[in-house]
Amino acid sequence: MLSGRDAYKDELTALAAGDERIICLEADLGGPKHPFAEKHPGRFLNLGIAEGAAVDIAVGLASAGLRPFLSTFAAFGTWRAAESVKLGLGYLGAPVVLVCPYGGVSGGWFGPTHHSLEDLAVARSLPGLRIAVPCGEAETREVIRAAAAADRPCYVRLARNETYDAPFAPAGHGEVGWVTPAGDGTTTCLVSVGEKPAQLCGRAAEQDPRLAHAHLCWVDDESLALAAGELAAGARRLVVVEEHREAGGVAAALALLLPQHEVRAVNAGPSWPSEGGGHDDILTALGLTVPAVLAAAVPAPRTSQGGIT
Amino acid sequence: MNDIDLANERALRARRSVVDMAAGEVGCHLGGSMSVLDILVAAYAVAAARPGTEVVLSKGHAAAALYAVLHQIGVIEEDPAPRYGLAGEPYTGHPGPKVPGVRFPTGSLGHGAAYAAGWALSRRLLGEPGGAIAVVGDGELQEGLIWETLQVVQAKRISGLTLVVDVNGGQNDGYVSDISPLTDLPARFAAFGFEVVETDGHDIEKLMDALVPGERPRVVLAATVKAKGVPAAEGRASSHYVKITPARARQWKAAMV
Repeated sequence: MLSGRDAYKDELTALAAGDERIICLEADLGGPKHPFAEKHPGRFLNLGIAEGAAVDIAVGLASAGLRPFLSTFAAFGTWRAAESVKLGLGYLGAPVVLVCPYGGVSGGWFGPTHHSLEDLAVARSLPGLRIAVPCGEAETREVIRAAAAADRPCYVRLARNETYDAPFAPAGHGEVGWVTPAGDGTTTCLVSVGEKPAQLCGRAAEQDPRLAHAHLCWVDDESLALAAGELAAGARRLVVVEEHREAGGVAAALALLLPQHEVRAVNAGPSWPSEGGGHDDILTALGLTVPAVLAAAVPAPRTSQGGIT
Repeated sequence: MNDIDLANERALRARRSVVDMAAGEVGCHLGGSMSVLDILVAAYAVAAARPGTEVVLSKGHAAAALYAVLHQIGVIEEDPAPRYGLAGEPYTGHPGPKVPGVRFPTGSLGHGAAYAAGWALSRRLLGEPGGAIAVVGDGELQEGLIWETLQVVQAKRISGLTLVVDVNGGQNDGYVSDISPLTDLPARFAAFGFEVVETDGHDIEKLMDALVPGERPRVVLAATVKAKGVPAAEGRASSHYVKITPARARQWKAAMV
């Protein structure tokens, strides 16, 4: 089994054999012995540590009919190159695919400079981008295939090197991935975005079998509008678990899409986790834990005034 | 009329059109439009003779000059001057892809040079002829993205890129030499592996010679005068953005020969 990061490289290398338009761009974070470079050296360019220029150059290539896939860490691909992404992928709509590992706090002990709890806010603020947060090898491959087949700009958020065995069908076109199906519209449904949230929700649902669990891979507004209807039909309350800040996240978007539903959020909160440790340690420090998911899934008792305590 | 005479005639007409835009409802970036105008005429003439060559006005605030020149060469059919900056029209103060002949959105400085580098690189990857001519301002060279792009161009040997610098000495808040001087530009560009050509930015014949691409990425340092063609404003930093009356526009145009 491959990590999403390695699955991306492998899948793109395979796709490029049948699509001469595909160009693989790196900004010095692709690692040595990149499979694309070995298989298609004429179409692989490591542009160096130059993220803003790399996005703009990719836009130039895309405008000429090529299909560039550009990869760098999520923090740099979105924030360092934010204006280039806004103008080229947003305003111009150039079909560049920005593939970014180190999403969330998968960078662990590398610290806040290498954490990315705000990338989806950048990407989701730009109309027209398709945005995917795939979970596991199979879904990552499906997302890369879908991105290559579409003439649209796309942001793909990946994690670091861990592998995941995802218990749902991979989503290529915005489907809801049901891990534990929702029932008759009265249940509480956990909604996971990303690999670690999918794990947390899976464990929470094991502890409380009344909970449904839906996984979302595509989280742009267009996709969420489709998913919202399916989620709303099955559940009364949604608990969205995401490795991201509240602002610009999926919970806020679903709350606006489903005003008649109760949407709760379990997210990374406001802190800057600046101590060492692995991915799970940082998540725990942020409060992204199974107990937090279970607590959010239990309806809060109402006060005598009718408010929520 | 030979090619050079035709180009000069187009430049004169385009200058009058820019003055009309300055006399419109919103005014325009007159100084930088007039300084870059001959460069644009030369760039489009060179591109017309070399299929696959893209011209990118990276100093997008000179949109008035771009629209005027694209109109003169027939890419924009309607006269953009009476439409500049108006509701419902694509002729915004910085150019975007709704304007015929404009492929990339520019105006946030530095990006146009990088788009052009990507376009030039695409020629090599696709095995097709052509390249890109990016027109930047001297003030624009203060943007880090320019130098990041030059680094990539040098590293990846993107030989199809020609960068033209409109060296008019001015920027929004005053003179480049007062705000953030650009010392020894020829040496800087040479250090990035560029072939450096210095020329008169208002001599279209010399510009056309300088813009024909060579074996290496090239920079053309074009010495220009801000607000060139309007003696009352020439060389003045205050000409950066101008709104004038129709009577003043008639005066300025009549004085142009």
